[in-house]
This record gives sequence, C-alpha cells and structure tokens, in this order.
Amino acid sequence: MISMKALRFAGMAAGLSLAAGLVFSNSVLAKDTGYIFVSNEKTNNIIVLESKTLKLVKDLKTSRRPRDMHFSDDHTKLYVACGDDDVIDIIDVAKLEVIGKIATGSSPEAFMVDEQKRRIYVSNEEGSSMSIIDMDQQITLAEVPTGAEPEGVWLAPDRKTVYVTSEVGDLIHHIDLEAGHVIEDVVVGTRPRRFAATPDGNELWVTTELSGEVWIIDRGPFKVLGKLEFLPPGMRKTDVTPVGITMTKDGKTAYVTLGHAAHVAVVDVTTKKILNYILVGKRSWGITLSKDEKTLYVANGLGDDVTVIDVASRKAVTSVPVGRIPYGVVIDE
Amino acid sequence: MNKLISAISLILSLSLMSLEARAQLQPVTPPAATSPDKKIAIGFLELRNDARYEPVRAYERLILKKPDHPFAGAQVGIEDAKSQQRAIGAEVTLERMTAAKAEEAPALLKAAIERGMNYILLDVPPELYKSIAETAKGRDIILFNVSAPEDTLRRDVCARELIHVFPSQAQLSDALVQFLVSKKWRDYLVFQGPDPYDDLITKAFTKSAQKFGARIVANQRFEPGTDPRQREKNNPALLSAINKDWDVTFIADKAFEFSRQVPFQTVKPRPVVGAIGLETVAWNWTWEHNGAAQVNSRFSRYAPNRKMEGADWASWMAVKMIATSALRSRSTEFKPIRDFMMGPGTFDADKGLAVSVRAWDHQVRQAILLAGDYYVVASAPLEGFLHRTNELDSLGDDETDTPCHLNR
Repeated sequence: MISMKALRFAGMAAGLSLAAGLVFSNSVLAKDTGYIFVSNEKTNNIIVLESKTLKLVKDLKTSRRPRDMHFSDDHTKLYVACGDDDVIDIIDVAKLEVIGKIATGSSPEAFMVDEQKRRIYVSNEEGSSMSIIDMDQQITLAEVPTGAEPEGVWLAPDRKTVYVTSEVGDLIHHIDLEAGHVIEDVVVGTRPRRFAATPDGNELWVTTELSGEVWIIDRGPFKVLGKLEFLPPGMRKTDVTPVGITMTKDGKTAYVTLGHAAHVAVVDVTTKKILNYILVGKRSWGITLSKDEKTLYVANGLGDDVTVIDVASRKAVTSVPVGRIPYGVVIDE
Repeated sequence: MNKLISAISLILSLSLMSLEARAQLQPVTPPAATSPDKKIAIGFLELRNDARYEPVRAYERLILKKPDHPFAGAQVGIEDAKSQQRAIGAEVTLERMTAAKAEEAPALLKAAIERGMNYILLDVPPELYKSIAETAKGRDIILFNVSAPEDTLRRDVCARELIHVFPSQAQLSDALVQFLVSKKWRDYLVFQGPDPYDDLITKAFTKSAQKFGARIVANQRFEPGTDPRQREKNNPALLSAINKDWDVTFIADKAFEFSRQVPFQTVKPRPVVGAIGLETVAWNWTWEHNGAAQVNSRFSRYAPNRKMEGADWASWMAVKMIATSALRSRSTEFKPIRDFMMGPGTFDADKGLAVSVRAWDHQVRQAILLAGDYYVVASAPLEGFLHRTNELDSLGDDETDTPCHLNR
C-alpha cells in the first residue's frame, strides 16, 4: 500500500514536469519499427520480434504479469498492464525499455487509452473495479465498482461511455463516464471476456468463455441482439472457450480465438455466419491483425508460442516460441 | 511441425465447407424489469463443536490440520452475488445460524423457514440430515449440503428439498480410480483404519475399482500406535510386506495419524493415495485454471489464515447457484429459481465443465480434482471415460446405480 502511494506521488511529480513537453518531443521518434510485442504472464517480459523474420529483437523485462497492451496514438509509447504489481508500465518504443509506471487498482488486466482526454480506463481483476486514471498526473481519479473479475474494456467513439465485462457476474456494465458509475447492466453468457465493435461503434461483440459463444449487443437501446455458438469439427463443446476477438477495419470479418479448442473462428459480421475455423495452439487467447490485415497473430497461452496465420488462405503459416503464458500481441506499424 | 499444422488445417477447412451455410445467430429474450426492494435471503446452518472441525493432532502441541467451517466460502459467494444485484433486482443476504447442540438444528431450521427463508446452506454432521430433511419436507426450501460426502445421504435420506453441492464419496473415489486406471495402475493395496468412516471410504473405493476394472490386491487393517506387540498392525513396512505385487497404496484413515507415516515406508516404492499423497477433492488452492486463482484470492480476504478447500468451494457454489438461477430465470421468486436450478440450470464452477443438478438424487455433477501437495495432478473425468449423456456422470451414482429417484 505504501509503495503504491509513493508511486502515485512520484508519478504525479514526474507527470507535472513532463506533461507539457511529452507529446511533441516524442512523436518525432516514432518510426514504425514493424516490431511485434508479445506480453508473457509467467516470465514477466515482453518478447519483441522482427515482423518479417520473426527473429528476437529484445527480451524486454517488465513489471510482474504483463497482460493487455496498447500504443499511444503516435506509437512512441507502449502501455502494458502488469497484474501482479498493480501498475501499467510505460515502454519507450524506440529504446525498448520501461520508462515509467502508473499505479492502478488491484491486478490490472485490460484497459483503453483516451489520449484526447488523457485518461486510461483499466479493469482491476481482483479489485472488482475499473480505475479512471489521469495519464498526466498519473493519479486515479475514480474507481468504479464492477462485478467480480472485470476484464474487457471498450471505450465508445464518443468517449463518454465505457463498457466492462464481469467474468463472474455474467454481465456487461455500461459505465457513464460523466456520472462515474454503472448506469446499466446487460446479462450475457457465462464468463464474458473481451470486446470488439463494428467500425460505426453500434454493434458490440463480446466473447463468453464458458458458454462458448459471442454475444452481440446493439448499443443503441443497449440490448442483446443474439449470440453465435462455435464448434470446430472434432472438438468437444466444453473445450470451446472463446476469449480473444478482433475485427477488420471495414467491419466485415471477425476473428475469435476459441481457447482450449485451439482454433480461430472466422465470422462474417454482416450475415453472422461462421465461415471457417483455423487451427492454432493450446489455449489461444490474444489475437491481432497486422495493419495491412494480411496476417493474424495469436498468442497460445498454454503453448508458450504465437501462431502466425496467413489471412488470405486462412492457414497457420508458422509458430514462434515466446515467453511463458503469452497473453497478448500488438504490432508497431 | 508447420507442415503438419498446415495439413491438419487444410483437412479441417475442407471438412468445414458444409458448415458455411449454417447461420448461427440465435435470438435471446431480454431480461424482465426488476424491482430493487426485493430480497433473496440465504442462511448458513452449522453446529457448534462439530467434531468434523476438531484440529487434527499428532500430539497435543503438534497440530497437523486445522479445518474450519466453510462460512468464508459463502461470504465470497455473497460478494460475487452483490455485484449482480442490480441485474437480479433483489438484495442477496447471508445469515449465519449456529446450533449450540445437535438437537437444536431442526428447530433453527424450522424458525428460518417460518421467517420465509428459502435457501439454507447445511454445514452439519451427516447424522442430522434425516431429522432436518423431515423438518423441511414439502416446504418452499432448498437445503444445500456443502460439507458431507456420505453416500447414504444421497441414496437413503434422498430428500426432494436437498441439493448435494459437496461431492459424494462415490464421485470422489470414482475420480481417483479413473485417474489410476488412466495411468494403467490397476492393482491396489488398501490400508484400512478402525473408524467406521474408514469402512465407508474403503467400500466406495472397492466399488469404484470394480466399476473401472481394477483390483484390490489386499486389504490390510491397521491400528495406529507404537506397541511392538502390535507391529503387524501399526508398521507400514510390515503391513505392506505381502506376497503379491501392487501398483498403488490406498489409505482409508479418517484419524490421519497413521497416514502420515506411510509415504516412503512401504517395502516397495509405490505411490500413496487416498488420505495422503494424492487426494481427491472438490477444490484445491493450487488449481489455477478457469479463474480459480481469482476465487482463491477473494477467499483469502475472508479467511486469511487458511487455504480454500472443498467445503468452501461448495458453499461459494451454492450461493452462486442461487444468484445465477435468479439472474437467468429473471425472477426473485422461489419457484422459478428452484425450477431453473433443478432443471436446465448449468453453472460455472471454476473447475472446467459446467456443473448441474442430477435429477435422480440431486447430487451436483462436477469435476473432481486430484491434488498432490503443490499441484493438481489431474481433473476427473479423465479423457476417454465417456458417458452417454454427460461425461460428469461417469463419476458417482448414475441413475441406475441408486435407489433414490426423485425424478420419478
């Protein structure tokens, strides 16, 4: 507790002195390295790979249990939530080193960054809350109570609303950021995990791990439109545990990792049809599309590797060993 | 390896073409409007000085185990349910009721029922179940057995108002033998203690061995002690000096004092299972899949001095079953909640396959963990042990195995 407070104060001081200059001075350093960043929960590191050769660039030590990652808009910084140290590490993308830490609630898991408002919204898995953090002062402005084990965080394009899943509560919380609390819940399948949304922000897709589904929510009236059920051939229903999800920029195709069923489902967003299943590694969770949307990267939590998928042929091309229990993948491009 | 992956995915994508036409979007009914002033009151009934929670001692000053009532498990359940209250539309409360003496338990229960309480977690010794079931008979109540494994409660007490969340002895021993058979360890040497409970455990183990095609090579009765004249009965080396080989030593020993002397002391190097070594449990603090780590962590806030165990899990689960049934049946009334729980209800148990209530004896079908000291070695049902309707029913009394038929 003492260390957290100390961190916040230190952060505040640093934040105040740096706030003015940061955005300008660092943006010139962004260089689209093409590097792939893989966070590894068990080995407390981010494995940085060169995207063409998939060769190791750097084994980047972080705080303990790094999980969700997001770049700053200009890609000069990478933020990573570190669950066992209750911080978000700030990584300098050019130098590939941790340059700062932001204190969060207990066991931060997933987050979204709003650079316009200079806010971070982070789910605290063991705190059963979502912290609203001021990025410049590096202080927690509010801690919004959620259901137990909150995970997925999605910031609406209007920047006024955040949605958070509660794994234990089987709920999606609708949080009004001005009011600073949950204003509505929607009951979904068992163990809701992560979000994706259509480009217009109207349809929210959420994976429900234990019920093996994706639930689709209309944000207008905030109500459930329906659900998709997955079953790759030869797999048992109980192994189908969807967690990661991503959508193409045109909002036409969604990719869903199916956890223990070791497949990625390809879904046509318009027709809501499951088009295909692609074989990946054990307990596939994190999933990311390259900027040109030609390649998919999937973190296999119980395979300690990342599967690289060729999107056109819908086939796994290769897999690369990373750290232990890889969680997420992001690309600097 | 990569070629293999490509080959497999090619085969899969070919076999999938037929699936493409299958539209998958299914309609979902919206939740009903809810009223905030409603209440779902849950009771926790226990017995003061319950002998099952006496510390297990080697000598007066050497305490080997310090069991405790699983109330903290129910508290975690309530904490989790509180965050669903808004969606449920009712406040979920927990009341601890402690009977000073065994005879007082049915009266406490009766008073709670008369106050309108519909859900009570039972943490009482198995002897009390009969009188409690009689008190509850025909009332709007569900009693959740959260700590008693005795098969007789399922087979003979067999009450409509009871749900056994804690696994039965039959489930536990089936899980153990499934695991041993999956390792091809089929010949067992049994060490059976003098307690009547040891006899129950041995019977369940023997039945499981028969069920899965394994053998009891010998059943050696032991008597704890150090008397040299009794060494044939109290020395693990002599007890295991039998003229046949065996794969695994199984110990039935409620008192536990003898059990701790068995590992590394048998004449042959054979793993020890049952009371020590590899234990079959409803929950273990080292289980780290399915969100279990977070449950353990929440539990430690209510019981900082011990690790979460099977009865804690069952108490947590019982509260979760009530809250989830309210959420899913979109009601705070007893009947829809009960009908969901006893009927289509499946619940996330944080240990793999979703759990549900068996229609015939109201046992909760569930995965069983096989725990070593610092690792859950396996989770049953083991792969390959199939069942015609639900793999979880490969553990414990199937509909045809029991005299209890609440569904008929």
